[in-house]
Amino acid sequence: MTRFSIAGGAIVALASMACATARADTHDRLFVYGFDPATDPPANANEAARFLTQATFGPSPADIARLTALGYDAWIEEQLARAPTLGAPTVEQVVNARTGAAQNVSQMQRLQRWYWQAAYAPDQLRQRMAWALSQIFVISDQSSAISQYVVPMAGYYDMLAKDAFAPYRTLLGDVTWHPMMGRYLSSFRNQKPSATTSPDENYAREVMQLFSIGLILRDMDFSPILDNGVEIPTYDQTTITHTAKVFSGFTWSDAPTAPPNFFGGGLTFAAQYAPMECFGTEWFPASGSGSNNMRHDITGDDGTTATPKTVVGGVTIPANQTCAQDVNDELDILAAHPNVAPSMARQLIQRFVSSNPSPQYIERVAQVLDAPGANLGDAVKAILMDGEARNPPALASGDSYGKLREPILRLTALWRAFNAQAQPADAYGEVKMTANNSLTSSFGQGPLESPTVFNFYEPDYQQPGPFADHDRYSPELQILSEASVYSSANYYYNFSAKAYVGMSNPPTDRPLIDLSTLTANATNPAAMVATIDKSLLYGTMSSTMRTTLTGMLTNLNGASAAEKAWSAIYVTMLSPEFATQR
Amino acid sequence: MSHSRNSRRDFLRTLAIAACSGGTAAMFPQLRMMGSALASTRSLTGYKALVCVYLAGGNDSWNMLVPFDTARHDVYADARGGVYNAQSNADGLALGIPAGADVALQKIIDGSDASGTTNQYFVHPKLADLATLYRANKLAFAVNIGTLVKPIVKADYAILANRPPQLYSHSDQEGLWHQGNSVANRVVGWGGRCGDVVHSSNANQDLSTCISISGANRFEVGLSTVPYRMSSSGLSSLNGVCNPTPCNGVSATSVRDNALNALLADTYASDFAGEYSKVFARSRDLYNLLKNGLDATTLVQAFPANNSLASQLQTVAKMIKLSKAQNYAARQIYYVRLGGFDLHAGLMSGGNSDHAALLKLVSDAVSAFWQSLAPGDVDAQDEVTLFTASEFARTLQSNGSGSDHAWGGVQFVLGGAVNGGRLYGNGGGPIAGFPDQHLVAPNNFSRGQMIPGIGVDQYAATMAQWLGVTSPSDLAAIFPNLANFGSSNLGFV
Repeated sequence: MTRFSIAGGAIVALASMACATARADTHDRLFVYGFDPATDPPANANEAARFLTQATFGPSPADIARLTALGYDAWIEEQLARAPTLGAPTVEQVVNARTGAAQNVSQMQRLQRWYWQAAYAPDQLRQRMAWALSQIFVISDQSSAISQYVVPMAGYYDMLAKDAFAPYRTLLGDVTWHPMMGRYLSSFRNQKPSATTSPDENYAREVMQLFSIGLILRDMDFSPILDNGVEIPTYDQTTITHTAKVFSGFTWSDAPTAPPNFFGGGLTFAAQYAPMECFGTEWFPASGSGSNNMRHDITGDDGTTATPKTVVGGVTIPANQTCAQDVNDELDILAAHPNVAPSMARQLIQRFVSSNPSPQYIERVAQVLDAPGANLGDAVKAILMDGEARNPPALASGDSYGKLREPILRLTALWRAFNAQAQPADAYGEVKMTANNSLTSSFGQGPLESPTVFNFYEPDYQQPGPFADHDRYSPELQILSEASVYSSANYYYNFSAKAYVGMSNPPTDRPLIDLSTLTANATNPAAMVATIDKSLLYGTMSSTMRTTLTGMLTNLNGASAAEKAWSAIYVTMLSPEFATQR
Repeated sequence: MSHSRNSRRDFLRTLAIAACSGGTAAMFPQLRMMGSALASTRSLTGYKALVCVYLAGGNDSWNMLVPFDTARHDVYADARGGVYNAQSNADGLALGIPAGADVALQKIIDGSDASGTTNQYFVHPKLADLATLYRANKLAFAVNIGTLVKPIVKADYAILANRPPQLYSHSDQEGLWHQGNSVANRVVGWGGRCGDVVHSSNANQDLSTCISISGANRFEVGLSTVPYRMSSSGLSSLNGVCNPTPCNGVSATSVRDNALNALLADTYASDFAGEYSKVFARSRDLYNLLKNGLDATTLVQAFPANNSLASQLQTVAKMIKLSKAQNYAARQIYYVRLGGFDLHAGLMSGGNSDHAALLKLVSDAVSAFWQSLAPGDVDAQDEVTLFTASEFARTLQSNGSGSDHAWGGVQFVLGGAVNGGRLYGNGGGPIAGFPDQHLVAPNNFSRGQMIPGIGVDQYAATMAQWLGVTSPSDLAAIFPNLANFGSSNLGFV
């Protein structure tokens, strides 16, 4: 990426961005690994399962076999080349069918499809990346601005999946122009100043704070850059006010332009998830007849067109440009900022591998993302292939390697390990997955259902106790509480003890897991425990846990084979060892 | 070309690295021990509870409390783009002066100001119930309060060190409100630090001093205090195992239960596994302790439905009643939260999530809570102090549909011990009283963001002292910047 010099006041010539076409086979991904590159293929099924725990929604026997056959590199390349599984088309069909039959429609329709994709979509790495990106480029149906927009929100998620391996700049642009983001962070119908108003600053702030550069200058290993021991802010309130001008004039893609109606449009689902239109000088004059329809702020710092807009880093954007020029200039400036690579690297590592990556690990990934023509596929490959991901340290007291598993990922791991059978689609084309519940309040997380734009948990959260004491991060512990540990567990019960193939009166609102790999050994507790170890813990079960589970199964002697099987699964799902991903 | 870090690396090497994000206590664990050693061992008697009502997103609080006199109201309305009218002035954010029957509902007098020219205010129309409590001297407003390192005026603002870090950033400002000071971001809050001091006075040492009905929060984390997190839907049982634990007999349920307890009792090398099992084990223990009592605790007062803040406060009321009945604690700190206040858009638009709707939720919830504390019900009105907090107020100036992030704003406190019926606007600093609401006022910024006259430290320290944290060394440790301010106790409680 080309760096912009941080020169105050000067108009900087913008180099064109090198946008890679991202064909996997022409893209050079050599030399991206850490100093201990992974051996290709995985040494055994357990290692393969461990990798797939990081890279997918949970290892399945089929994926373990495929990874073993291809090796890490080829498996990743195969995944990077896979087309995205999309949700919006299906959600739209279901919504239309339900609407046509006078059935209620809600975000539940989007959630059912999301959980189905997590469990069954073949482009697992891409889906996992979209899930990670949805926790960074947050929109949420908890905001009344978009809570009614079921299909378009599915469209936003599809955009993340499509851009999962694209260049960062492409993703940043698609997020910025998406109407669901526009509505969520109020750049939608944001207008140039009037006598009594100034443009809304919401998107200007959050695109910098959360989606690109963060609050303070950072080095490539994410460590803060200090000036006499003090952190250096990346921007201030004045920068926000100038940047707010850029993100003005947006409206629905189908808002009429002749005659113009800034407040019109949004008439179809397709229009509601197509990129926003902008009522800038590309459509309307800045002065004279018709200029009242020109809603984009073309002025500079002083509110006139005599000055440029001074944005982050003291870089300027000329006044009097079209809306698209302004937005593209701003996004080019943000995408080129040195903070982006380490910020994205660190957050993505936290979503896939570990909460406390070493500075060196962050830097290795940041360097990959920072290289000319790099894309997010390069970054995720670097993350997964790095020695720090592939080679966990030996377990010793005070270990903070790895992370706490997200509650949703514990559920999908269950489904994928035990070959969960999906329900047939109902009369409206919907496959029910979640026991008629959004699961969000029980798990403390849900797809595009975060309480605020700051995601379910913060990257810098430190659980009081050993984490805070040693200045270590534990984001997922922020949603773990005395209440949520119970509510999550109760749903794990509902998806195991109350949802298996062969039970009497099976439910029709969730997948049914297949207990046969366990019931085959119903009289052999040790063998059952070994299956649990292999299927859910990739061979890392401690000897004490093994003893406890074997004893439990022995003492369940009078129970049915199925009850023994789901008991082993359920108690494992609640176990501290399963809750931890190392 | 990739970014060269060599020059940065050298730059870094030449600098002394200051406190990292965890604060000096995190870098030097022995400081945490020092903090504990400062904790008072004095035994507190009776019962007192603080209840923090966090309004998340930045409450547009200059529409909670508005000048009633025409002169000042005109200034306010002008700054806010005129009185809002859905047809004729949809851009405006100002409330009109109440008239007719509304005057009796909304108008209040500042009991600390003898001058009729300046002592008349009105509350937002949806806060009429709170105005009633104000007139009964149970509720007070803290005016133009915000995060400060020390008292400043506009001329001081240019120097970074004179002002809190990352003003206008939600997460940072919320963190500072939870901390009760504007020292750069730490991991502990003033509620948790107070918990460290008072916990030894509580008869039941298993139940944390700090109880959250709304999830993780920095406010309630201390050096040794960790909040107990409850759901507003009460304590549910755990499927497939014994509730409470253990249970008698040798059923399959009991076998699973024993296995689960064995796993939770194990020690784990991984801190992730260790922390998870700690939380789970604590959940099982506290279920055992609280479940039957909580189920048996009823309130006379009905709480409004479809109001998440009310549900949370109902749980607080029950826990206070149970804690007093069982003598679990002499001192407790509760945390509840209502979100949705980040109204960049739709502030006045009349939908069910605009500012009026949110304030109605607050008013209904807080009123019901107050009523439930009356004699014959929880009977603790004189022992409970409820206070609001919010990361910042919002720009007086409209953005056409709402307001953006600002700084100093209005909070309220409620309780039998509160010296209510008046405004508290004087923290002993250069900026005092109800602020000048001209956009061009000397200590405002161009969109009507106000430099606060009172620091969060002062607000919090006042309540900490009421709770029983009174030793100067404890206060200095919890509120390290308190000495910068003119007054360490605002006197409202």
